[in-house]
Amino acid sequence: MITLVTGGTKCGKSGYAERVLDRFEGQKYYIATMNPVGDDAEEIIARHVEMRCGKNYVTVERLRDIGDTEIPEGSGVLLECVGNLCANEMFVGTEVLDPAKKIVEGIKRLSEKTEELVIVTNEVGSDGNDYSPDTMAYIKQMAIINRRIAELADNVVECVYGIPIVRKGRLIC
Amino acid sequence: MKMIIGGAYQGKIGCATELFGIDEADMVNGNTCDFEEVFSAVCIKSYHKLIAKLLAEGVDPVQFTKRLCETNKDVLVIMDEIGCGIVPLVKAERVRREATGRCGCMIASESDTVIRVICGIPTYIKGALREG
Repeated sequence: MITLVTGGTKCGKSGYAERVLDRFEGQKYYIATMNPVGDDAEEIIARHVEMRCGKNYVTVERLRDIGDTEIPEGSGVLLECVGNLCANEMFVGTEVLDPAKKIVEGIKRLSEKTEELVIVTNEVGSDGNDYSPDTMAYIKQMAIINRRIAELADNVVECVYGIPIVRKGRLIC
Repeated sequence: MKMIIGGAYQGKIGCATELFGIDEADMVNGNTCDFEEVFSAVCIKSYHKLIAKLLAEGVDPVQFTKRLCETNKDVLVIMDEIGCGIVPLVKAERVRREATGRCGCMIASESDTVIRVICGIPTYIKGALREG
């Protein structure tokens, strides 16, 4: 089963995603896409590590090429998050790429190996601000990716101030 | 507690008046009130603005919101959703945005009713209005 969890900043997406995987009894993998360098990265990573503490996740760092992630067949996977993955694939040196197709195909390949896949993404397009062309391109790529993953997913859940709202499929927990 | 959320100018205050019978004049305004007023308020509007003001004054908004939840259990809190955008470049803006998310999660968790308003239309995303 594939579940996409979306929403804004600090809306309880990670907590909900983990609750979905709490039901999975096989080996669980946490695919971390955040570049561990930067102002807030250490703080965010430390908080998420603490949240998963004692839940028996194997952590795999994967900043790019999500489809090449090596995990055994039948795994449970929490992929967090598409926003970082997209930025990592998009802004390479001075180049700006359009990674939507690559990421969606990568997630499709990943899903072939997972029994339970929970994908955390981010809503980035609703602040009404104008940004530089590169950032506007990022918003567009994120929208394309989210829409495509939502097509693949069995369930799509939006988190709003900690409350899960079902957008497709069913509310698992 | 009760909570009404949504984007700016979506009709949250109108819904508060219609659904809970609270006039706007009787609401404490998070943008202009003294911090202590919220602990006895029937309804607080623009709570997201209060969070910004608390941060500007060096008050931890998460601890403040915890105190609100503990002391004013019948309050109706109205606040905007502000987290669905690009992560701001300025650190203080990132802190404000994240604090708003955390406080919102706490209030929603403590509320028996949470209503989301879009285009003036309220949707109950937690609980439901009791009759009478």
